[in-house]
Amino acid sequence: MSTTYDQLRVLYRTVLLFATVGLVILAIGVIQFAYFEPFGQSTGLTARIVGVHVYNSDSGKVEGPDRSEFPRDVEFAAVVDWSSLPDNVVVDARWYDNFGTVRGQVGPGTPASLADKTIVPVLVPEGYHFILPGRYTLVVERLQQDRAVEVLARRFVRVDR
Amino acid sequence: MVAPPAANPQSRLRPARYWTALTLAVLIVVALVTSSILNYVYLDTISGRTSLYGLLAVALVAFGTFILVRAYNRDPAMRRKNLIRAAVLIGLGVLLWLLIIDVFLFTQSAGPLVAAVCALVCLPTTAFGLVVVRRLDRNHKEPWRLVLVAAAWGAIVATSLVVWGETLWQSTAQHALVPGPGLDTSLAFMAGILEELSKGAAVLLLFLVMRNEFDDVVDGIVYGAAIGLGFNFLESISYMTNVYAIFAPEGFGTAAAAIQWYFRQVLGLFFGHATYTAFIGAGVGIARQLPNMRQKVLAIVAGFVVAIAGHFAWDAWAALFPVDTTVFVIVEIHLRTLILSGPFTAALLALLIFGIRYEGQNLRDQLQKEAATAQGAILPEEVAVLASPWQRLKQRLQALSRQGVRAYFRVSQLQTAQLDLAMERWHRERKEIDTPLEAEQKLRERVIQLRHWVAAA
Repeated sequence: MSTTYDQLRVLYRTVLLFATVGLVILAIGVIQFAYFEPFGQSTGLTARIVGVHVYNSDSGKVEGPDRSEFPRDVEFAAVVDWSSLPDNVVVDARWYDNFGTVRGQVGPGTPASLADKTIVPVLVPEGYHFILPGRYTLVVERLQQDRAVEVLARRFVRVDR
Repeated sequence: MVAPPAANPQSRLRPARYWTALTLAVLIVVALVTSSILNYVYLDTISGRTSLYGLLAVALVAFGTFILVRAYNRDPAMRRKNLIRAAVLIGLGVLLWLLIIDVFLFTQSAGPLVAAVCALVCLPTTAFGLVVVRRLDRNHKEPWRLVLVAAAWGAIVATSLVVWGETLWQSTAQHALVPGPGLDTSLAFMAGILEELSKGAAVLLLFLVMRNEFDDVVDGIVYGAAIGLGFNFLESISYMTNVYAIFAPEGFGTAAAAIQWYFRQVLGLFFGHATYTAFIGAGVGIARQLPNMRQKVLAIVAGFVVAIAGHFAWDAWAALFPVDTTVFVIVEIHLRTLILSGPFTAALLALLIFGIRYEGQNLRDQLQKEAATAQGAILPEEVAVLASPWQRLKQRLQALSRQGVRAYFRVSQLQTAQLDLAMERWHRERKEIDTPLEAEQKLRERVIQLRHWVAAA
């Protein structure tokens, strides 16, 4: 019986040891989250996204009304009003697709330097014929030391299959 | 008639266990119903409808499982009838669930044919996984009915349980966090915590309701891995149809679905969900044999922590692993799985090997003790054969070569009954069961009866 209990105790202690390693992994995860999502970064600033429209890649201009849904064979772009932001911050605007990949970007730079880059198009991935379907997220971000630390505006768009 | 004494007459654990199981089951049902209604009302998406209409399939599986459990706890005369009823209900539930998925989730994107093909190609690999996982227990294999119930729960109930929680977490995170590594880390925590809790609930229910078939750490690993394989089966179909729908207009939908199949059903078959949930099973299996409540709770919590950590590590850090676009991509992808998930699977295998040895040594001890009683169920010369999986196989193969397939299965039945008896004795000695002593005597009689059949053949 004592041998049996000892063997069980080894199993018990082993699983506790593995759990300790598990806790270390989860703690690293918390630190990683805190590093990329630092607390106390809110400045209260808000950027203005004027709208998301059909994009004409030949002319480089947007056309039509503000929309939240597009077919996959129609290119689209967001219009960002940089003038709503002060000039002492570094910002950019990015489109993320369903997989979290950046599919279009303007910036980074100060709002004044981006004043003539108000249109942020979604790019068709290289080698593809259409925009990939799914949910797209446009974020206007404030950067600090090349790292996005705050979202100043956000907009979601659906691309149909 | 006087009732035979129980192994542990002082045990008050059985009613408490059943109440705990009932409470857990009620909580799961409430969570499922609430989740489905909320999905339908607020999400207004195809998955919301799937979730709501899928409740019927979940109810069928749950009711079928209840009847299945009753079949083995009640009058043996009713067993066959109850088994057929349970099989029909669970079968209908699975079919209905697949149908609902086809119709509501994938028809608009990939089409029912693609969903059916994806399900069909995932079936052989998942079945292979289940066969391997069941065979891991070299000394005392789990009954197929419970392994399949575990897989069905993983595929249907566990996947349904996470829909609302994950949708809510994902939606909140996407509205609040900076896209990129921070958001990815949050979503990795989401998958680790919610998916492992939903799969772990099934392991706990099996432990609470079917404790006679839940012997130790090895059984826990087998059931946990089976639940993980079931979950992986449905998740694979979901991802394959999704990528097919996305990439089909570009002309490589089939290739994208095939790559997903390889990642999830070949490369990740044992590394992913099966490993994570097997850790929960290992924790519960160790808890089953521990003497005091504090240690039991700690072991179960430890199993959950390892499972969540393993799942989190993969989801959070797989994308950080460098994978380029050269020909080395194939090597890199395999290395990524080996480096990130390999240590967890290796740690699980260590627990499994130790558990098998521990179980084997104790079974041998009980076989010797039973042989010493000279009651005829186990003969002294049989101990060495019964204690070794290879010797047992050799004995069965000898029966096969001498007297054919029927003899093989009869010897197999005899060996199983003898090991059942040794297992019963082991748990009784450790005061881990509350079934009456009569059960042990019945097992002994069954062994003697089977021995007559084998001898007569």
